[in-house]
Amino acid sequence: MNGRVTERPQVGPPAPWSFPEPSVVPLPNGMRLLLVDLPGQHVLSLRVFLPLPVSDEERGTEGATLLMARALDEGTSQHTGEQLAELTERHGIAWGAGAGERGVHLGLEVAGRHLGIALALLTECLSSASFPEAEVDRLRRHRLVDLAHEHADPGVRAARAFTAAYFDPRDRPHLPVGGTTATVSRLTSDHLRDRHAQLTARGATVVLVGDLSDAPSAVGTVAATVGAWKGDDEVAGAPGPARRSDRAHRTVLVPRPGLAQTEIYLGRPGPDRRTPRGWGTYQVLAMLLGGAPHARLDRVLREERGYTYGVRLGFRPRSVGGTTVVAGSVRADVTVPALAETLRILDVPGPEITDREVREAADFVAMTAPGRYATADAVADELVSLAGEGLALDTVTQTLSQVRGLERDAVGAAWERCGRPPRGRWSWWGTPTGRPA
Amino acid sequence: MPLDYPVSTTTLDNGLRVVVSPDRSVPALSLNLWVDVGSRHERPGRTGLAHLFEHLMFQGSELVGEGEHMSLLMAHGGRSNATTSFDRTTYVESVPSGVLDLALWLEADRHGHLLPALTQTTLDNQRDVVVEEKRQRYDTVPYGQALAHACQAVFPAGHPYHHTTIGEMDDLLSADLSDVHAFYRAHYGPRTTTLTVVGDVDPAQVVDRAQHFLGHLVDGTEDRPPRRPTLGPSSDPVVRDLVEDVPSDRLYLTFRLPPVTDPQFLHCAMALDALASLDVSRLHRRLLRREESASGVHASALGLVDGASLGLLVLDVADGTDPGEVEAAVHEELASLGEAGPGETELEASRADTERSWLEALSSHDERAELLSRAAVSLGDAGQVNTYLDDVMAVGPDEVRQAAATWLSPEVMSTLRYRRAGAGSGGVPRTATAQGAAAHTAGELP
Repeated sequence: MNGRVTERPQVGPPAPWSFPEPSVVPLPNGMRLLLVDLPGQHVLSLRVFLPLPVSDEERGTEGATLLMARALDEGTSQHTGEQLAELTERHGIAWGAGAGERGVHLGLEVAGRHLGIALALLTECLSSASFPEAEVDRLRRHRLVDLAHEHADPGVRAARAFTAAYFDPRDRPHLPVGGTTATVSRLTSDHLRDRHAQLTARGATVVLVGDLSDAPSAVGTVAATVGAWKGDDEVAGAPGPARRSDRAHRTVLVPRPGLAQTEIYLGRPGPDRRTPRGWGTYQVLAMLLGGAPHARLDRVLREERGYTYGVRLGFRPRSVGGTTVVAGSVRADVTVPALAETLRILDVPGPEITDREVREAADFVAMTAPGRYATADAVADELVSLAGEGLALDTVTQTLSQVRGLERDAVGAAWERCGRPPRGRWSWWGTPTGRPA
Repeated sequence: MPLDYPVSTTTLDNGLRVVVSPDRSVPALSLNLWVDVGSRHERPGRTGLAHLFEHLMFQGSELVGEGEHMSLLMAHGGRSNATTSFDRTTYVESVPSGVLDLALWLEADRHGHLLPALTQTTLDNQRDVVVEEKRQRYDTVPYGQALAHACQAVFPAGHPYHHTTIGEMDDLLSADLSDVHAFYRAHYGPRTTTLTVVGDVDPAQVVDRAQHFLGHLVDGTEDRPPRRPTLGPSSDPVVRDLVEDVPSDRLYLTFRLPPVTDPQFLHCAMALDALASLDVSRLHRRLLRREESASGVHASALGLVDGASLGLLVLDVADGTDPGEVEAAVHEELASLGEAGPGETELEASRADTERSWLEALSSHDERAELLSRAAVSLGDAGQVNTYLDDVMAVGPDEVRQAAATWLSPEVMSTLRYRRAGAGSGGVPRTATAQGAAAHTAGELP
């Protein structure tokens, strides 16, 4: 047995690492394939981004894009939904579909030996999804139940109340990407078929990441399947505007008497990822203000006062502009002091943010990158996100480089610009007069 | 064919077990300290202590300031967290390779020298935080108490799994400083701890550094309670109606399963796959697709060590459907699975899905470290991560049928029915706009 070591050990220098650089392969139909070989990652992560902004949805049918994406595997001209489920699950393929501001995201996780069948199924769904009435009716009903469940969740409810009040009612972001009970109720197979007919290979991207020794003919298989799918000839447009409502600067109270906590949600304008100040600047700000128990918000609200399990600050980028958001649940009987304390903390002048805070947060962002991007799904998600947003494929590398050299003045100036005070919108959940349970 | 993740296991003289799995794909490593203490080790009247303790472990130790464990690691590119469950508490770090020594030193200080820093102030503060965690995660969300109800239904009073990890509010409020000091002495020490490291290291280096930083710890823990013999399926299942403000009627059908160390546990998990976990599962096809009497169907098997595990079937009842209809259909399908066993598609899909999700989990250093610790402590062999899929592939339809007949029959199932309060009254709260505020021009950001 050895004695106790009381002196803190030194830390070794970080080893060189860079975000994987994908091979870019043009496909026959105009899509591009981004390919990354990650030895040891035996489940391949396949992602597809198809441009189709939700802002193009016909008014009153908001949510059609998401429901269309979810219904892609509910029947094709060759297979019923049950047959597709069987083909997918017998090969252990996990399938996900979603929609965002710019378009449709599809994701498949598959063992290398089943990549061929996964690509064949994906291509079949893209080219000949049939949206059978019975299946669409069922998915619509389930989606309405999901919306009711989201409505009952304090965190989601507060976020929804915020976007409804913050964004101009004329613009699409005023409503959730997946639509509302009113709009989803109206959706039919025809709405979904219309949206599906607008899917195009032009401007679309396929990403494949993992141990490619498990799938030696991957490039040829992708080219012969998804790469041969045609889709619509029209090029998808850019997302529509996301204007701030004229009435955005206000407080919304959502009463829920009897709840033991109040959900506080504050927001104001924020940057998008193309900000000339560098997106990394905002990653660092989010970390030092609201990214950890010792960040400025939780150091007081959680660790000193015990008001909350945690309050977070983040930046939500859109294609143009974005929002700065602060959110968390606090004990109902301290709602007012917690809110006052939150605003006081957020009112920190940029120049008062210290060198040490900036250095520690920047080092965290930069040095956690190798661990954050160690798996196929994390690399694939990042690449498809960059592709969808039209950003350069070396954006992660550039951002990390910027973060490593970040100075306190730049961070302080960015906060002065977007952070003080975040009175763009307040949205509350709960009741300030509720009593603790 | 077994997987071939390298696994090396060593036990230091003081009892600390060290498991290492080198993987040099990125210059980072994941540490997992699995402490053999969870809510099953708590005493009546002191529930929630294991989890409260997990919070206190971040509040400083003899040589480390309050909150410094996390902030120091983060400043060097580390991420740090902890979780508590029925059987164990784990402390995890994901750090650049050069931070191994610092991480081990920090862990040594809190795992061996916590009490000098554990004061009434830190206890009071973290108790407040945990109370807010309980409210946020369990008390203010629909169905938030479902697991607690399930455990009460499935495990008899006095059984270690009768209560959940978050604990009872009264117990949390009454825990005092002497309770938490005693808890630490009884449960935290090298004999109850397993250190797993996955990533950019070699096993000899980890053992050497573990010896250097943790080798001096002296064990004073109580002996771990022996694991109970298998409890068997419930003999007195309960039915309970809960009328609450929930968005839809929901059924939690709960089962007492064999412990995770029993091969039958895997058979039960695959039977639950055949029933409900997959799109090809019979309840999915029947209730979601054909009869449309449910809008959601899920199943899970929570593997535990102390004589029993927990199985759950969760069904969201479609609006306008009598929950009794759904229950009756589930009873039929449970009986049929117990009589005829799974279909070929259900079994093949269960195997394929398990293979993919197991490989996905092992592809992450953090999750591989957690699975290695679990294999070493709960299952008695860290090498289980390499052989598990062979076990899965070897399970045949008759074993699944037998497991369903024994452990998942309607006769041994407890039923929790969440019913909507005032269903049909459209009780959706309205949004009220209060207080306007002075005009404020934020301007657009660059």
